[in-house]
Amino acid sequence: MKNLLSASTQAMPRFGPALLQFLVLALFVLFAVRLWYLQIHLGPVFTEKSRNNQLRVEYIFAPRGFLRDRNGELLAVNEPAFALGLVREDCEDIPATLAEVSRLSGIPLDKLTEVYNRNKPKVKSFEPLVLVPDMTYDTIAKVEGAVVRWPGLEIISRTRRKYNYGHLLSHVLGYVAEANEAEMQADPTLSLGDYVGKQGLEKTLDGLLRGAKGKRLIEVDVTGRRLSEELQAEPRAGQEVFLSIDLSLQQLGHKLLEGKSGAVVVLDPDSGEVHALVSEPSYDSNMFTNGLSNAQWAELRDDPLHPLQNRAMQSVYPPGSVFKLVMAGAGLHYDAVDPSETVTCSGELPLGNHVFHCWKRKGHGTVNLERALVESCDVYFYRLGMKLGVDRMSEFAKAAGFGSPTGIDLPHEKSGLIASREWKLKRFGVRWTRGEDLNMSIGQGYTVVSPLQVARYIGAILNGGKLVKPLLIKGQRPQITGRVPLTPAQAELIKNDMVQTVEDPRGTCHRIITPGVTVGAKTGSAQVMRLTEEMHRMGEGVPFKYRDHAWMAGFAERGGKRYVIVAMMEHGMHGAAAGPIVKAMINALFMGQRELPPKDLEGGERPANGPAPIDTVEPQFPEAPTGETPAASSDQEQPQQEADQQ
Amino acid sequence: MSPIDRRMFYHVNWRLVGVLGALFAIGVLNLYSASGVRMGDGVQVENFYQKQMIWGAIGVLGMAAFMTFDYRRLNALAWPMYAVTMVLLLAVPFVGKTVMGARRWLDFGVFSVQPSELAKFAVLLLGARLLSESNERLTAKELGSVLGLGALPALLIIKQPDLGSGMLVLLLLTGLVLYRGIVPWLFRTLCVLVPSVLPLFWFVLKDYQKRRILAFLDPATDPLGSGYHILQSEIAVGSGRLFGKGFLAGTQSQLRFLPEKHTDFAVAVFGEEWGFFGMIVILGLFCAYLYQIAVVARDAKDPYGSYLAAGVFFYFFWQILINMGMVMGLMPVVGVPLPFVSYGGSATIVNFCLVGLVLNISMRRYLFKQT
Repeated sequence: MKNLLSASTQAMPRFGPALLQFLVLALFVLFAVRLWYLQIHLGPVFTEKSRNNQLRVEYIFAPRGFLRDRNGELLAVNEPAFALGLVREDCEDIPATLAEVSRLSGIPLDKLTEVYNRNKPKVKSFEPLVLVPDMTYDTIAKVEGAVVRWPGLEIISRTRRKYNYGHLLSHVLGYVAEANEAEMQADPTLSLGDYVGKQGLEKTLDGLLRGAKGKRLIEVDVTGRRLSEELQAEPRAGQEVFLSIDLSLQQLGHKLLEGKSGAVVVLDPDSGEVHALVSEPSYDSNMFTNGLSNAQWAELRDDPLHPLQNRAMQSVYPPGSVFKLVMAGAGLHYDAVDPSETVTCSGELPLGNHVFHCWKRKGHGTVNLERALVESCDVYFYRLGMKLGVDRMSEFAKAAGFGSPTGIDLPHEKSGLIASREWKLKRFGVRWTRGEDLNMSIGQGYTVVSPLQVARYIGAILNGGKLVKPLLIKGQRPQITGRVPLTPAQAELIKNDMVQTVEDPRGTCHRIITPGVTVGAKTGSAQVMRLTEEMHRMGEGVPFKYRDHAWMAGFAERGGKRYVIVAMMEHGMHGAAAGPIVKAMINALFMGQRELPPKDLEGGERPANGPAPIDTVEPQFPEAPTGETPAASSDQEQPQQEADQQ
Repeated sequence: MSPIDRRMFYHVNWRLVGVLGALFAIGVLNLYSASGVRMGDGVQVENFYQKQMIWGAIGVLGMAAFMTFDYRRLNALAWPMYAVTMVLLLAVPFVGKTVMGARRWLDFGVFSVQPSELAKFAVLLLGARLLSESNERLTAKELGSVLGLGALPALLIIKQPDLGSGMLVLLLLTGLVLYRGIVPWLFRTLCVLVPSVLPLFWFVLKDYQKRRILAFLDPATDPLGSGYHILQSEIAVGSGRLFGKGFLAGTQSQLRFLPEKHTDFAVAVFGEEWGFFGMIVILGLFCAYLYQIAVVARDAKDPYGSYLAAGVFFYFFWQILINMGMVMGLMPVVGVPLPFVSYGGSATIVNFCLVGLVLNISMRRYLFKQT
């Protein structure tokens, strides 16, 4: 038996059994290491990949918040819109389908092809690519029949922003449009086709109005079939916002400025709420919501009247005599003026070898501060300007809020400019001259301000020196952004002088006197360019684009209610041209007259009863230090329309 | 000596049977989950696991049958079996049935036969017979004749085309050759030669085979085509992490992202649902299973039995290596099933029969002690 066993083992393989055991061990080690690597080391990575396989995220749109005026009138709403989309995956013949869409919608084929090619990389093949963003009912009817015959075409219902008063509030509300590439990059919650605010309050309040999209997690299998849905986040509707704007006042302002260029601001001086912010010419916000064609856009952009510009805060103009209110404040603050002290106006003031004229060539005779404001005497303020000097004038004007933005919740606000010695040296490389002190004192020269800044300063005179932030949303807490260095008595004095300007029969604003309402105001004519003697004589015949801008800055109060009203009319000729607008606003605010004012108060026409003294032509500018036309020169702060006219 | 000895029952290798039972049980359980598909409401399970149990039952009968005779009698069958296989393989290109672009089946009316399955068995018998004649290391001439005999059927199978089975035939024979040993100089030469010649086979590969290999090297090049299988399999296994997503909770399989999930990629389902922990258990069971066969090969009473057991060892070893390697992204996609885990009727029956053969060898080693 022993032999047998040994005989058989001799022929047995010598290396094999060890090899097999080694292979088993190697197999175990190799796979265990690999499994550790895949499941433990890379486990989180693969878990993420498996979730990506299985889960799709779908967004639920949140309705954009409505906008209402202060009385609850709806200004901006959402309405259903129907778009035509193309699902590439389901479409058999894309060129033929595009041709059919072109036939149905009337959109040229090459334009559709361009839209298709532009959006193709951004849209997944199983998602609809929007070809026609907003179909007319006529097109919808035709397309509905065609959808059955053309696989891949899909009618998508969505909401569109609708502005009920597109023209009246375009500068305040702005508009929404589909988010562009840069906006989507900046905000990951945005996706293709989402609307975002692009201008005006729609832009500044975008976060509030937009709300938050809801998120739905969808479990899909390999074929894309939906197996389950889980709501991860409820959509949060955008907030409804009540504006401080009074629609009827806004409407009135637009009617008054119809066919002209200009701006009207109605401001509550205590709360800072803006009751009207009008800019004409304007545009229709609705044009933008469905995507503007290039031609439409070019037309708006290149319009010489610049309808896109909000003239109340994006345009700046020389203040003209309105600036005398600032000068009065500066004189009182620096104690350079005694209200009872008189100055004799002979109609001119020589300085060096140059003579500065008063707008009234005959002169005003003996004037104190009140008379000087009431009759807008230039010589009085020349003398005050000489006494104060540019440094103090500049310091006070800046403290009064000029040269810096008001902080209103609208984009692209202009700051305007208050010149100083340093500024001029830096800008032109030339020193400040004494003649420029005089020019500055009557609101000409380099000084440019926006109507809204003027309104804020008038507000400060009424409320005891507080510079309030103009608020566009109703019920916000008043925000005081600065203080004008005036004592209550000094502010009261200026206010009373403004009232005199209206109530005195010789006052420049006598025409806007309103029984039962305390009204104060100041006119201004802002030189666009220096008129020649010849042009002066032409009077109404001066070419439109060379005519002065007309200002009227005033206020009205009765029974605890008070409002600042500033009207600015481009090329209105005389300050008084803005008067009817202010008057109509006062009537609307206190008399309940919301329709158009009587014909005789319209436009630049003079009132029938007696010639009211008005500043016809403001003093001319002396020699320009650099030989440039001074009123506007090449100042970058100058509004576009002025530069055009140089 | 009667073929069935009562005492043999006491010598059955119960350890091997136990490991086999555990593996098959896990396989059926996993098939239950792998054939489940989540629809909108709940899971729909196809009946693969039930069929697999039936195949298993038939397999156990086959296993018992393979224990009844003295395995040494197979020695005489080696050449006739080889001859029959070659005839059938040569017949396939002319009278074979074409299924999914490949001619692999011979239709005998009542039943169909894949001659390639038969070839594995024939090569196993012939290899064991030829190699067990001596225990000296193989010389170049001997190696040439043995491999030549294996290469003939292998090439015919690869031509069908069935790369997986053809390779398996060659690998099985290679395993047996290594079990015997090769003279050192030749071994060293081959170690250098084989890796340098192998890339040349690239030029005889079919396009789809080339794509599979490219996709294996870099799955990202073709994530929706050939690379898809590898990628989805790795995602399934990898996302199982330590303890898995739970039974019937594998999203890769239930939502059908994992392809071939009840056949070639069945173990990926297991990896997804039971995690690293489960995979180590199943890997451990496979290694224990292979180890038990290796022990039978070592302790067999004669060289022939030892080589037969070693052949069965390699038969399983290569399938486990290729299939699990593929699932873990270590091997290109080759259609090789994982024994007892992948669904498949004939493969399951053959696997059980081969275990029966190993048990046969195992229990008969004690018989000499009695005589």
